[in-house]
Amino acid sequence: MRDLLEVKNASKSYRVKSGEVKAVDGVDLMARKGEVTVIVGPSGSGKTTLLYLIGSLERPDTGEINVFGENICRPNADLIQYRRKRVGFVFQMFNLISALTALENVVLPMDLEGISPAEQHRRAEELLQRMGIDHRLQKAKANRMSGGEKQRVAIARALANDPDVILADEPTGNLDSATGKVVVDILAGLARRDGKCVLIVTHDEGILQVADWAYQMRDGRLKGMEVRG
Amino acid sequence: MRSVKRGLRSFIRHPLANLVVVLLLFVCLTLSLSMLAVKLAADGQVEEVKSSVGNYAELRVSSAYKMQLFSEQREQDPAKRQAEARKMSEEELLEERTNTLVPEEITDDFSLLPEIISFDKVLEAHVSLQDITGTELETMFSMRERAPGASATSSSGTFAFEGNTNGASASDFMLGNKVLVEGSFYTYQDYLDANPVVLVEKTLAEENGLSVGDTVTATVTGAEGRNSEMELTIKGIYETVEAEEGNAQDPQAFNPAGNKFFAPLSVVQELNGTAGYVELGYFYLDSADSSAAVQEAFQELVVEGLEGGDKYELATDYSDFESISDPLQKVSKTSTIGLAGALGACALIIILAMAIIVGGRTRELGVLKAIGATDRQVLIQYATEILCLCLVAIVLAAGASALISQRMGNWLLQGNAGNAAFVEQAESPGGTGAPPMMGIGAERLYKQGGRFSPGNRNQQSVELDVIYRGSMLVYGILILLGISLLGMTVPVIWIIRLRPARVLAME
Repeated sequence: MRDLLEVKNASKSYRVKSGEVKAVDGVDLMARKGEVTVIVGPSGSGKTTLLYLIGSLERPDTGEINVFGENICRPNADLIQYRRKRVGFVFQMFNLISALTALENVVLPMDLEGISPAEQHRRAEELLQRMGIDHRLQKAKANRMSGGEKQRVAIARALANDPDVILADEPTGNLDSATGKVVVDILAGLARRDGKCVLIVTHDEGILQVADWAYQMRDGRLKGMEVRG
Repeated sequence: MRSVKRGLRSFIRHPLANLVVVLLLFVCLTLSLSMLAVKLAADGQVEEVKSSVGNYAELRVSSAYKMQLFSEQREQDPAKRQAEARKMSEEELLEERTNTLVPEEITDDFSLLPEIISFDKVLEAHVSLQDITGTELETMFSMRERAPGASATSSSGTFAFEGNTNGASASDFMLGNKVLVEGSFYTYQDYLDANPVVLVEKTLAEENGLSVGDTVTATVTGAEGRNSEMELTIKGIYETVEAEEGNAQDPQAFNPAGNKFFAPLSVVQELNGTAGYVELGYFYLDSADSSAAVQEAFQELVVEGLEGGDKYELATDYSDFESISDPLQKVSKTSTIGLAGALGACALIIILAMAIIVGGRTRELGVLKAIGATDRQVLIQYATEILCLCLVAIVLAAGASALISQRMGNWLLQGNAGNAAFVEQAESPGGTGAPPMMGIGAERLYKQGGRFSPGNRNQQSVELDVIYRGSMLVYGILILLGISLLGMTVPVIWIIRLRPARVLAME
């Protein structure tokens, strides 16, 4: 159970003008460290909501989410620490802070955590180097970077506090296919080499190539897919 | 601390947006601080006026009563009146002499009011002195009164005596019109002991070869023509230093009051044959604000509480306080309105600016919360940014308002006071005259030593000195904190209500 991310019968509904929409409907999911789990599905199928439930950005109406032995749905769960140290987010729109440089964006989660400035810089530089962002680019403002560069900075930021889980929401959605492949390879590498639990939600079925486990999501419901050879 | 640093860095990273907000705040804060400085100056000066004007009162026989007596006497046949006077008893004569005077015990009792901080009593009399020749110099007043072409008259023989309880506190000495040049003042003890001592004018003393320690003989007119004599010892010699306007260059060329003696009140009462009576009692109140209460007490204790008490009046200079302070109070009101308006504009600017700034950075807020920032951390970051904005604006505004607030004060005073900025003293119906106005910040206060100066017309301009006081710093900090807190309400509401999932889902 210690290396297992487990979603049990999770549901989440939203109220809209026309009534109630069940974005996630009784979902069960398992993901492990060192593996890439991919959830594919069309837009509006509820996959981003599921990702946000796992990332604690949303609270499920029913069900339970255990992340490596910690039930994040219990009332007294420390979600701030969970978001800082246990999960890292990678978004389709990158969501970098445009006024900050690449380095400062990566430093930010560590700064919130209270890591010393020297350590922050050392780690941030190391992560950016690893993502192929050179020193010159590290000093560049995020809004001056290409999509691929931004996404690599975003991955570096997600790794800043060395989380166990990487949650990637349409990571290639705003990238050309070549750049998208680079980003997907980086994410896969995080699972294979660093032992991270990488969970990717996408409508791009091409990503299934790197998946260890895959699920299909439609109308809030999840169905397992056979992906491994 | 890290959140503060992030806030500082964020403030530096958004120069253009911040510049616009700082400029807008600067304009409104400059106006606010200028208005505040003007208001504080005006309020301060009103308080200053309160301590010098409007807290003076004179208890005396009313002018209406005096007029009534005068009319009655005029209607009588002079020969008949003289005949009646000859038949009068000693008590009746005393009663006639003291008709226009105030019994000392009334002033003494009245002085016990808690609002009264000091008081004195005055009696003026005309006394005949033997072997003394009055100075030939005449007053401007006597020249004006004299018919054209008539020759100047000497006042030899009869001299004006003014008595009070302490020579040093006589109004002429307090005002600096007269200065003791030799000897010493008579004291309160001299008054209590009725010591026959006097202060004599220098010119008169020189012309008559008098010096300190010499004596002069006064004729005391008693009842039924029985005259007696009183030896008066010269205790001090004074000099009249204030010549009337137009003769200021050569004060020696004109002596306005050479034939005046000052003596203890009890001595003047004896010389005048009116023991126990004074012309008036004058009182200093703790503040101009006490004027109404004292007037009310006068009505209760004297006018209604004493038999025949309605013949007395309590004249105060409260109306002078009102006329002097009126332009200042109007300036204070106007500047308060201006201050409120400018602060309102500041509030509006900071709220709108923060709504735009925070609204434009919603995604940033969502990201911060998604990566583990607490509401408190985000709030401190934004609070620091707002504080920096407001601090820069208020520092610049403080400098600018220091430059313009005096002008603004003058402009407001001019607008509010108009011609009233020049306050002209008016004669009071009582006959002794309203006190002369002194400009605010004048070196001497008009009524030190007491008594409304008769017939002295002054015209002084009311000026507003806008000085940055320590309280400005306190108010400046309060304004800074106020608008910063107000500005913070926007991110507070935003941060509390913001759900990162919603923000981040908006691709």
